[in-house]
Amino acid sequence: MPAASARKPPRRQGSAAAALRKWLDGHRMTALTSVRRLLATPVSSLLTVFVIAVSLLLPSLLLALSASLDSLLDGVQQETQISLYLDDSVTDFEAQEVSNDLLTEPDITTVRLISKAQALEEFAASSGLGEVLAALDTNPLPATILVTPVSTEPGRMTALAARLADLPAVTSAQVDSQWLRRLEAFSRLVSVAGGVLSLVVLLGLFVIVGNTIKLAIENRRQEIQVIKLVGGTDAYIARPFLYSGVYFGGAGGALAALMQAIVFTIFNSPLRELFSLYEGELTLLQFGGIDMAALVVAGIVIGWFAALFASLRSILAMQP
Amino acid sequence: MIKFDNVSKRYIDGEEALANINFELSKGELAFITGHSGAGKSTLLKLILAMERASSGQLIVNGMNLNRLGRRRIPFHRRQIGAVFQDHQLLFDRSVFDNVALPLQIAGYHAHEAGRRVRAALDKVGLLCKERLNPAHLSGGEQQRVGIARAVVNRPSIILADEPTGNLDPELSAEVMGVFEQFKSVGVSLLVASHDASLIASLNYRTLTLDHGRLVEDRAAGYAGSENAGR
Ligand SMILES: Nc1ncnc2c1ncn2[C@@H]1O[C@H](COP(=O)(O)OP(=O)(O)OP(=O)(O)O)[C@@H](O)[C@H]1O
Ligand SMILES: [Mg+2]
Repeated sequence: MPAASARKPPRRQGSAAAALRKWLDGHRMTALTSVRRLLATPVSSLLTVFVIAVSLLLPSLLLALSASLDSLLDGVQQETQISLYLDDSVTDFEAQEVSNDLLTEPDITTVRLISKAQALEEFAASSGLGEVLAALDTNPLPATILVTPVSTEPGRMTALAARLADLPAVTSAQVDSQWLRRLEAFSRLVSVAGGVLSLVVLLGLFVIVGNTIKLAIENRRQEIQVIKLVGGTDAYIARPFLYSGVYFGGAGGALAALMQAIVFTIFNSPLRELFSLYEGELTLLQFGGIDMAALVVAGIVIGWFAALFASLRSILAMQP
Repeated sequence: MIKFDNVSKRYIDGEEALANINFELSKGELAFITGHSGAGKSTLLKLILAMERASSGQLIVNGMNLNRLGRRRIPFHRRQIGAVFQDHQLLFDRSVFDNVALPLQIAGYHAHEAGRRVRAALDKVGLLCKERLNPAHLSGGEQQRVGIARAVVNRPSIILADEPTGNLDPELSAEVMGVFEQFKSVGVSLLVASHDASLIASLNYRTLTLDHGRLVEDRAAGYAGSENAGR
């Protein structure tokens, strides 16, 4: 039949390469059309992107913070110390003697004495309160001996600290690993919170992107009806909306990455100061290219799935 | 090509739009469907397009029983049918050209080949000079002809036309029917719903008459001529 054979030409050139090119051509056209549609309503598109970005930013910040804390904890773990605060009546000479004695202990590897004067100097430098402190008649800071034990195992350290606290010159002994434990617990909490928030945000983004796509489909109901009447498949109809979802998600992820980079840059220098008090080799908040790419990819994947879900729901609900 | 076997259609709200329809349209045949407003002409065409499902009976199109046509197959079924809708179903967010190109775009034609065919189709209905315009700015008759161009652009094996000449003057109506006859001559089957009695009489094709959903008359082609001769 002439009419039927006339329908075949597009397939006749039919090598796999030609078919692929045809398919890619179709996708490129749809992709461009989708961009044009989003740009046609720039304000609402930007708003959607912004909402997605902020939603992605919150869990991403928490997870990155937790990762940074973890790598920071790894770095200082070996340097766990015991701080011995000396009595005010102990002279610098006596303090030096005590620290020399400690060096001979088999349980202890290194000993570092921070005299009252040194302590004041360091604190003045790091706190910026030098003038206030200079105005004081007396030095309120105690002399400190930092002891690095052979074993960093918590039980042994606590026992050692208790023994050292009994020395006459020492008023109190503090195991520095306590703040590490707290920091570890805090990091775990942050990571759990980040995980939970990720799930909540995932749901939220599904609703946000899904709703945006649903509205876009409602607005194009007439067009979809006509496309169906002339033989468009559900997949063909859904395609531009899937592209929209990908664009929204990708742009939202990129904006979130940018915001996170800014936040980390702002917070890094005060954090560096905070942690330098503890004298560790510190890895501060890290946010590199891979993390940025991960955010964008997460945005794209979420956007695509949300759009797929929403468009299939809407399109299947319409008359075939 | 199209076979109605005791087909009935009752809409959800109880209206029986078609009752026990039986007829067959073969390849390369052109038939008119006529009848009063509300007789069921549009419903009959919608059944063939799978826009509606028969409540009972078998409807076979191109060897395919539409009762067994799954949702996923419907688009491919429609691609072999060119349809002209009573309410045009044009898109006003794009040009006349893009409206006519839509079926080719969906079928994945290369832009160059599609352009050639779209222009050929627009030329057939005399609208080549208006390809860049928005259909919203066209007259009712022009819009109708854009719909006709879109229906034939994909060279379907079946053409369904619902009141395709409703807004056209006799001269344009004859032209449009001429286009349909060209397709008939290359083996396309056509069903044309119309209550334009003079047009139907002047062309003397097979005519199916519906009355309140019943097929009350199936007059073969050439009958009018012999009737006239008999008087
Ligand atoms: N979607 C629908 N739901 C309920 N009833 C419908 C629906 N579509 C059509 N009908 C009814 O079915 C009957 C046949 O309608 P149809 O549109 O097929 O008539 P028609 O012959 O095309 O009329 P016209 O010449 O006015 O276009 C009418 O009584 C109409 O009210
Ligand atoms: Mg009608």
